[in-house]
Amino acid sequence: MKSTQALVSDDASWVSRKCWSDPAVYQREKAAIFGRNWLFLGHESQISAPGDFVQAYMGETPIILARDEAGDITACVNSCSHRGLPVCRADHGNARRFVCPYHNWSYTVGGDLVTIPQEKALAQQPDKSLLGLKRVPRVESWQGMIFGCFDPDIMPLDAYLGDMRFYLDAFFDRFPGGVEFLGAPHRWLIDANWKLPVENQLGDVNHGPFLHSAIIPREAQDAIEALGYSVVTEPGHGATLRLMPEDAAFEEVAWGMEGMGGILGGEEVQRYLKEVQDEAAARIGPLRARMKGLTYGIYPNLSFLWSNTAFKVSHPRGPNRVEYWSWAVVPAGAPESVKRTLRTNYSSFFGPGGLLEQEDSEAWSQQYRGCAIDYADDRPLYYGLGLGEGGPHPDLPGTVSVTANEHYARGFFSRWRDDMARQEVGV
Amino acid sequence: MSLSVAVTADTQRAVERFYAYEARLLDERQYQQWLALLSESISYIVPARVNAAVDNRQRGNESMLAVANELERADGEGCPLREESYIHLMLRVERAYKPNSWSENPPARTRRLVANIEVMEATEDSFTIWSHFHLHYARPGSRSCLYSGQRKDVIVIAADTDAGFKLAGREVILDYADIELPTVGLLF
Ligand code: FES
Ligand SMILES: [Fe+2]
Repeated sequence: MKSTQALVSDDASWVSRKCWSDPAVYQREKAAIFGRNWLFLGHESQISAPGDFVQAYMGETPIILARDEAGDITACVNSCSHRGLPVCRADHGNARRFVCPYHNWSYTVGGDLVTIPQEKALAQQPDKSLLGLKRVPRVESWQGMIFGCFDPDIMPLDAYLGDMRFYLDAFFDRFPGGVEFLGAPHRWLIDANWKLPVENQLGDVNHGPFLHSAIIPREAQDAIEALGYSVVTEPGHGATLRLMPEDAAFEEVAWGMEGMGGILGGEEVQRYLKEVQDEAAARIGPLRARMKGLTYGIYPNLSFLWSNTAFKVSHPRGPNRVEYWSWAVVPAGAPESVKRTLRTNYSSFFGPGGLLEQEDSEAWSQQYRGCAIDYADDRPLYYGLGLGEGGPHPDLPGTVSVTANEHYARGFFSRWRDDMARQEVGV
Repeated sequence: MSLSVAVTADTQRAVERFYAYEARLLDERQYQQWLALLSESISYIVPARVNAAVDNRQRGNESMLAVANELERADGEGCPLREESYIHLMLRVERAYKPNSWSENPPARTRRLVANIEVMEATEDSFTIWSHFHLHYARPGSRSCLYSGQRKDVIVIAADTDAGFKLAGREVILDYADIELPTVGLLF
């Protein structure tokens, strides 16, 4: 493998095809990217009671995220200390113990080893306190969002999220009672590199009227471009959003109104959305009350699709494979019937059956094929659109620009290059 | 689980004729004609499917392994893969004939077998029909794959149409938790 410095140009306006396709690059990403950054594990609404657990991944590492008997949130590697089998076999649930199938060692949901059935017959008993499941050393939450990190020395989650909190709060704090993740994630295996879904959701609203022209009319995109901003809060994180005019009608500003749920939901849903919008300014301030997000990205692999209210994680499975997870999110305080309608804002257009995402997943898999052409290795991909453009904004934190600027992607790859280089020299 | 209801051979044959026709329309990409088979009040649901935790209290009972334990359906609190009405399906059909619906350009080749057609309920003007399907899907530039699943339909008698029935409800239960398929946005 070439030095990773050579894979991304200094200003990140050129990115090597090898970043997307080289197995050696992928091997290094496992430690350099997934070993050293905060990774999204789940939302507190998924594990509200003691004993609740969900499965998660940190890169390729299977994780059990749980609320233990004391009510604390724990994250452990799903692998028995005896011979290594996964001890948790369900996607989610509530349990007192995980019993390993092979020899029935049993663990609490928090990962402590409780019983070794074989030990009664032996003279010496192993020290069980040393044989619990391997713990993720750092687990922290912010606004109900739980993250884990394999690097014990990582900065606190708050600082890591930085100014993205301003943009995320515009969504989370909009609803009395916050948001709720609905059920298990949709899990979808796509023959693509994990970074392309990330890049797509980090700020690529530019493909909308082109790849999706069968569904998204040009006028919708014109409105996005006229009112839209692309923000990089720091390299690797980003948000695209619209700031609606101060005198815009409620229907145009209110969250959820342009989704299928809002359009087809009838009076009950419309009334609920109006109530939320009426109180939005008091909750999040007048500026953020007229903010309508499009896509958000948190480095390295968490995405939030505000426009269709889904959180997504791009779990790597090799250079050419991604396990893409997505959850519909809805306001936690909404009536059940309204939640059921609003979840279709997501499922109609995104996820494995979504009308729009079927085009995205096709583009992502074809991109891998293009990047695996050895003969074209001397032709890196062009990431220079809008280079040097953009700057501060009076109201919006971060570097702010028009949506056509690909600064979000350059930010991602410059941070990625630095992470990879850090691993190279072993710091 | 109960046996299907006893219907006359003519009824069974009429129902099977309808399903064979529907399958042929879909495999020959005649989606506009397929749309004409739908009732405008159709509900079209694809539940999500999970690897469920076994409930110890159900051990020894068939309920322990009930497929329903694994489904996130329309009336549940999870999120089905698809929850669609006539408008959604109309959008899908319209999209199919646009040259810029890139994931179907060139179009995939599909071939489906619909079998085990059981009439589970009969009223004066409608039937609840369960069936199984295997659908082979070959998309240019992609792996070929097999879709396997069950459909739980409500069809209503439409004596004034050639097909004889209209599809008023469909729930598609796919046999996957992790979806290793290019899309589940097909018309099943
Ligand atoms: S491998 Fe888990 S008990 Fe032996
Ligand atoms: Fe897209």
